[in-house]
Amino acid sequence: MAESAMTRRGERERYDVKLLQVDWGFALVLSLIAGIGALVLYSVGGMSWEPWAYNHLLRFGLCFVLMIALSLVDLRWWLQLCYPAYAISLLLLVAVELFGEVKMGAQRWLDIGITDIQPSEFMKLAIVMALARWYHEAGIKDATLSWKLIIPLSMILVPVLLVAHQPDLGTAMLILLTGVTVMVVAGLDWRIIGAAAAAAAVAIPFFVIFVMHDYQRDRVLTFLNPEADPSGAGYHILQSKIAMGSGGFLGKGLGLGSQSQLSFLPEKHTDFILAAVCEELGFVGGFTVFALYAAAIYMALRIATLSHSHFGRLAAAGTTATFALYVLINGAMVMGLAPVVGVPQPLLSFGGSVMMTVMIGFGLVMGVKVHRYQELPRSQSFFAQFE
Amino acid sequence: MSEPSIFFEDVNEKQGTFHRRIFLMGGLTALGIFALQGQLALLQLVQGGKYKKLSAANQFNFRILPPPRGQILDRNGNVIAGNRPSFRVLLIRNEIEDLDQTLDQISYVLPQTEANRRRIVRDVSQSQRFVPTVVASDLSWEDFSRVNLYASEIPGVQAVMDEIRVYHYGGAFAHVVGYVSKVSEKDVKAEGENPDSLLLHPSFRIGKQGVEKAFEKQLRGVAGAQKIEVNARGNIVAEDPNGTKPPTPGEDITLTLDAEIQARALEVFEQDSGSAVMLDIHTGEILCMTSAPAFDPNLFVSGISSKAYRLLADYERLPLLDKAIGSTFAPGSTFKMNTALALLAAGVTAEERVHCPGSYRFGNRTFYCHKKSGHGSVDMRHALKYSCDVYFYHMCNRAGVDRIHDTAHKLGLGELFDLEIAGEKKGLVPTTEWKRTYFDGSSRLRPKDPKWHPGETLSVAIGQGYTNVSALQLAVYTARIANGGKAVTPHLIKKIGAVDKNVVFKPIDIPAEHLQVVREGMYMVSNDADGTAYRNSQLNLGDIKLCGKTGTAQVHSYDNAKTRKASIWKFKDHGLFVCYAPADNPKYALAVVLEHGVGGAAFAAPKAREIMKVALLKDPAMQARIVRPVPVEDAAAAAAGPVPDIVDVPNPDPTIPPAD
Repeated sequence: MAESAMTRRGERERYDVKLLQVDWGFALVLSLIAGIGALVLYSVGGMSWEPWAYNHLLRFGLCFVLMIALSLVDLRWWLQLCYPAYAISLLLLVAVELFGEVKMGAQRWLDIGITDIQPSEFMKLAIVMALARWYHEAGIKDATLSWKLIIPLSMILVPVLLVAHQPDLGTAMLILLTGVTVMVVAGLDWRIIGAAAAAAAVAIPFFVIFVMHDYQRDRVLTFLNPEADPSGAGYHILQSKIAMGSGGFLGKGLGLGSQSQLSFLPEKHTDFILAAVCEELGFVGGFTVFALYAAAIYMALRIATLSHSHFGRLAAAGTTATFALYVLINGAMVMGLAPVVGVPQPLLSFGGSVMMTVMIGFGLVMGVKVHRYQELPRSQSFFAQFE
Repeated sequence: MSEPSIFFEDVNEKQGTFHRRIFLMGGLTALGIFALQGQLALLQLVQGGKYKKLSAANQFNFRILPPPRGQILDRNGNVIAGNRPSFRVLLIRNEIEDLDQTLDQISYVLPQTEANRRRIVRDVSQSQRFVPTVVASDLSWEDFSRVNLYASEIPGVQAVMDEIRVYHYGGAFAHVVGYVSKVSEKDVKAEGENPDSLLLHPSFRIGKQGVEKAFEKQLRGVAGAQKIEVNARGNIVAEDPNGTKPPTPGEDITLTLDAEIQARALEVFEQDSGSAVMLDIHTGEILCMTSAPAFDPNLFVSGISSKAYRLLADYERLPLLDKAIGSTFAPGSTFKMNTALALLAAGVTAEERVHCPGSYRFGNRTFYCHKKSGHGSVDMRHALKYSCDVYFYHMCNRAGVDRIHDTAHKLGLGELFDLEIAGEKKGLVPTTEWKRTYFDGSSRLRPKDPKWHPGETLSVAIGQGYTNVSALQLAVYTARIANGGKAVTPHLIKKIGAVDKNVVFKPIDIPAEHLQVVREGMYMVSNDADGTAYRNSQLNLGDIKLCGKTGTAQVHSYDNAKTRKASIWKFKDHGLFVCYAPADNPKYALAVVLEHGVGGAAFAAPKAREIMKVALLKDPAMQARIVRPVPVEDAAAAAAGPVPDIVDVPNPDPTIPPAD
């Protein structure tokens, strides 16, 4: 019945029809990840709903409603919001640069009166939308090999440099990689990709030596030899590995992880929550979490391929890229495969900003699913949308 | 399902590229997740054992439980050195992120002075990484509990409770008992290959002087250990009762000293410099061993400031020196009993008389008696009573210096007694043999003069010249005369743990009649109205009498008129007084040395009398003699001769009762 209803004109605009089109399986996978997060937050909070687990569930609940609501929004609205959202995010980043508050050694926060906001979070989403919008309108030649590629490249590099200057290297890298991924999936020529990869391979050591702050360099060097100074810079990685390794196959049990409970594990409720999961729930728990992440990424990418509009495809792929990068970078970090950068595990870690970004992004992805048959006009000029 | 859509070449190509690339992206992501799963399996399944061990090592820790240090008690069980709880706040350097901020946080709970704050900053910067810095010690319970409540919130701050040594009598036992202080590198090295781990504990204090040092091993005890679960900050989360080995407390040590006598002895010295040693003449127990001026040993426990230490070290009356055993001086006239006994041993009878005109010519030199007008005709007893120098000048070469030395050896002068605490000095009573080896010309400082000149014996006979002894030796000497010739040796330790130390003494080879002669002489010194110490020897304890001998020891040669005239404190003569009591049945022997105290009779004797009175008044046997209960049953006897409660009149009978 739904299938036939879809074919009738105007039928797809009905919200009850749209609700049926929402990918509830995807929503279930996201809920399971957040649920495991809440369980472990309950444990590392000293077997207590306070201070983290309750808040985590509450936030997820609100974000979940927001996600479903956003999934019902017509893609044309999203398309029109792209450039303004990007412009506002950029302005906020500049504002942080000028008036931002220094917290924990970095200038990331902007006090807007009610609460502190971290504009670099919004930029993760805005960059995906802006790029999707640009490629939506660009021809295949522009996307492959053209001087016009300077436009998407600038769109990426300006916020990346602003965020890196805060300094928040983790988020800057995330924005850069997300943008680059969108460019690649949009059809960037392999020769450019190859040249850029080679350039990066040469530039990274110089970057580490000359541009990075001391603590950032320490983290990178420590990553290369973590056992050198167990109580200094390599402490986090080592303690995290001890936590995970000592968990074994079945784990120590909720509330029984000595590494997490006795705060040997740093940032056990945020960046290093995966180590707490693996310590208390063992390989079984860790494997399940990764399987759920893999399922979520697979489902989101599948949605991207279903879309009939190029904007929908790139927006879904870009958002998924951000999510996958979160998962991979954080996973590599807590397992000692990457330097310690401040990247949380999405939906699992405690923290409002990241959860909101991710869930808004998935709202867009679900919207792409709901509106997968929607054709979007290609307007040639920036101002065409207002006509 | 057919879709109404318009296909353009460009759109198709865009979609095709996207589909290929998205497949690639999905593949790469899958590869990434696969790699992470692999690393997870490696960590948890393959290397799990290794990390389990590391996790356990993190979690559990052994904490040293310091044992309570053994107490040092006086003979009556009064605590001389005990322990009291001390609350301290420590700062652990490697856990602090921002010292300024941490100190701000601390001062919110525990106000700090600016100077103290500077000291902490300096200490922290100089401390080793894991060695805590003391922020504040000896906190009140209120302050401590407040800090303890908030300490867990401030990283690197710990509130700890431990025990600290306390010396209840202050300076009175400062030299004998000594003190404990912070462990130095030298102390750790002295422990040998495997130093006690206790030494590194921040609250531990090691014995540095006196009994505290000599009996360090017994007093220290054995450290216990506690298996504790700690978090990353080192804060204790849980204690494992099964993993706890309780500490073995140190053994208590009971001294032979009497706190009351000891405290009184220091009191009577006031600001004077000197020492007093009192013995039980039968057991050799040291009842009092004081060195004045003293210092407060409590200053050393928490660490004395270098300024305060310099004040003590530079003071010319040498408060840090144990003058009772670590200082020797010429015994002066107190040595004359020894000379008299040597004369008796050489066949001189006590009744032989010598005329004293006030000086004595020997060879080409004139030796003066202390009384320039002379004592007239004196026998041995009167020579002691008047302390007549000429008698001994005249007689001494009949005994000879070697016989004088032999007697001194038997009486304990110039001997070491192995007192068990360090710092005893041997002193010297010269012999011809000693002179030959000492002045053999081997040292540039000493002219070659190996032959003993008979003129030198004259100086030795009156306790001058090369002769030098310690206050402890004088007390032993007096005790051996008073106890009728038992080779009593002094000791300080009554009990260690539960073991009593009891010794039986052999007789010394001096006939009882000879000792009786010098005792009679000493009785006359203190109890004949013209004896040298009559005025200051009156105990006013009924028939309990004191027997003594005064002495004045030259510190500086009077040939040098300048120093004599200057009457600078440190060039003044020492005043000495040795005595025993009661005269009829001796029990206590006492030697008092008043450094640069000018005269024994005038200044040392009154101090000796005060100290002796404390001992006598404490003794139940003496109390029975002084305080007699009024007989109730035998009313007739009471009527015949009522005896007052306290007999305060001098004994009218001048005859000397036998000593033993």
